[in-house]
Amino acid sequence: MIHTWAWVIWLIATLILFSSTRNPLYLILLLLSLGIINNALKRYQLEESNDPERTNTLPISPLRIGLMLIALSALFNAAISHYGETVLFSLPEWIPLLGGNITVEALFFGVINGIVLFGIFWAFLIFNQALPSHKLMRLIPRAFFPLAVVTSIAITFIPATLHQYQKIREAQAIRGHKVRGLRDWLPLVMPLMVGGLERAMSLAEAMTARGFASNQTSPKRSWERSLLLIGILSLLVGWLLRLFENWNTLGSILLAFGVIFIIGPFWILSRRIPHSTYSREQFRWHDGLIIAAAFLVIVLLLLPTNLFSRSSLEFEVYPQLTLPPFDPLIGIILLFLLAPVYAMSKPSKNSLSPATQRK
Amino acid sequence: MKRLAIFDQLLRPAIYISTTLLGILALIYPFLFPAITQSTSPGKARSAEMPIMLTALVGLALLVLLYEVQGDKLNTRMIALLGILIAINSTLRFIEVGIPGPGGFSPIFFLIILTGYLFGGSFGFLMGSLTLFVSALMTGGIGPWLPSQMFAAGWVGMSAALLPPLINWLGRFHKYSNEKWERRIELGILMVFGFLWGLLYGVIMNLWSWPYFSGPADQFWTAGIGTVEIIQRYLSYYLLTSLVWDIARGIGTVLILLAFGIPVLRALRRFHSRFSFQYSSTQDNILTQETLSQENSSIPTRGQI
Repeated sequence: MIHTWAWVIWLIATLILFSSTRNPLYLILLLLSLGIINNALKRYQLEESNDPERTNTLPISPLRIGLMLIALSALFNAAISHYGETVLFSLPEWIPLLGGNITVEALFFGVINGIVLFGIFWAFLIFNQALPSHKLMRLIPRAFFPLAVVTSIAITFIPATLHQYQKIREAQAIRGHKVRGLRDWLPLVMPLMVGGLERAMSLAEAMTARGFASNQTSPKRSWERSLLLIGILSLLVGWLLRLFENWNTLGSILLAFGVIFIIGPFWILSRRIPHSTYSREQFRWHDGLIIAAAFLVIVLLLLPTNLFSRSSLEFEVYPQLTLPPFDPLIGIILLFLLAPVYAMSKPSKNSLSPATQRK
Repeated sequence: MKRLAIFDQLLRPAIYISTTLLGILALIYPFLFPAITQSTSPGKARSAEMPIMLTALVGLALLVLLYEVQGDKLNTRMIALLGILIAINSTLRFIEVGIPGPGGFSPIFFLIILTGYLFGGSFGFLMGSLTLFVSALMTGGIGPWLPSQMFAAGWVGMSAALLPPLINWLGRFHKYSNEKWERRIELGILMVFGFLWGLLYGVIMNLWSWPYFSGPADQFWTAGIGTVEIIQRYLSYYLLTSLVWDIARGIGTVLILLAFGIPVLRALRRFHSRFSFQYSSTQDNILTQETLSQENSSIPTRGQI
């Protein structure tokens, strides 16, 4: 099993790459990588659970979603954007916004946008499939523990609420109730609502009886909130300055300060919240491999280096469509993102071990 | 000490306003971008960074706002209430996924509006944003769109808290009307509010997806493009892809409010009073009792209601 943070860093690297290039050849290579990871994940989950229905969670296949996104994006861009030199046909000028030349370049640009959007969507889809909700919930910083408790209660009570809904429906059906219109839902919705509120009352009493007091364990301090406010204002000003070319550097510095002023207080606040762990995820060497591969891809492709030219990442469709360049070295570097496949090919062990077994 | 208390009180609206402003500006980024690049260096654009920037800015603003809001009134009872209401709302979203309604119809806005209206802006904001978060966790809907969705749904709940003063103000013109008419006026305003947010939610979410679909490079590639044309393009995008969808969402919310609004409001009001009591420690009680005794008042010696 891959560690949650390894998946998070892999996801961030994938998103950065999808947003950093418009070269369709590299984008297709990235999509193929995602396809391989998706299949490896399905196979892995199937072996883990021995249940064929475990992986069939999506009502529609990712490829179908991808084709829809690409087609929609291509059609929209071709209809709206009239740039490009290779004219396919022209729509009458009197049609507002749509009138003008429909060009191959605009169509192709839409396809590239669709691929980028699909890639981002698919990366998140893999991330969602790989990590169950309780692992995602652990990513909530401790500073937000009241919200984490709310989320935890909600996730716990969703099956109970669904069960209650079924029971109410059956009870009403026995009484001859049939749902014909919107109004007929009222005898189902109201007991569900009132029952839920009664349950909330009991839960609150139980929590209080066990000593839970959200607003007493984390007193809000003015200086931390002031730092957060400075962080937000710094982000705001920095981002607006970055829009102007002359203030680009100052804007970037302010943005960085903004991020530090926001993340910093949250980190400090989180460390102050006492917590206990029943079971902790084990970090294995293959998790380190995934993280290292993700960092390596970002460093090699995005940070300044003289090792190779990165000009092929920047591909312009306009004004006339040309064949996109392809650098094999960049292609090989992109394949580092396949590191999770290697990790999933290893014989699996349960990665959650009780804290008592830890040394 | 008094200065610190005043400073503390000023911090809250400052954080609310600055985070909301950052969220709004991040979403209308595509409209600002061409106008500024045109005035400085036409044709140059950092188009690739736009979606990432948007997600990061909205995400950070949301984190700060959530942190500020979570401590406002979130005691144990409110945590339990919020958790259960979110579970109910997420269940409604499950049912919606199973039996999709027409267009952008979604039953979740109904409860977000009513809780924001009755329990206040902070509660409404948490109800809206966490409903989207929890249902995303459960349905595998986590993505770069999530911060914008959470922000927009949070705004729905937060802005619903502006309605009680409006309804009270309108009530001044109906001094002789009975309670039934007051409830109808209240419901009517909530329905108008629900319809408007049905459209506005779509407009906000389109602002998130639009730079991905239309691609900024073609918009900024030529120096001739200005803000007016960007707005025209956005309008065309909205009309082509979303208007009908969003109208269905608005009408759906109106119909749900019409069918369930009054009984659910009644139930929520009843429970609101049951949830709005304060425990106080024995020491506090003794102190309070002494204080009140001096004022010739009598108070119970145990937990206060």
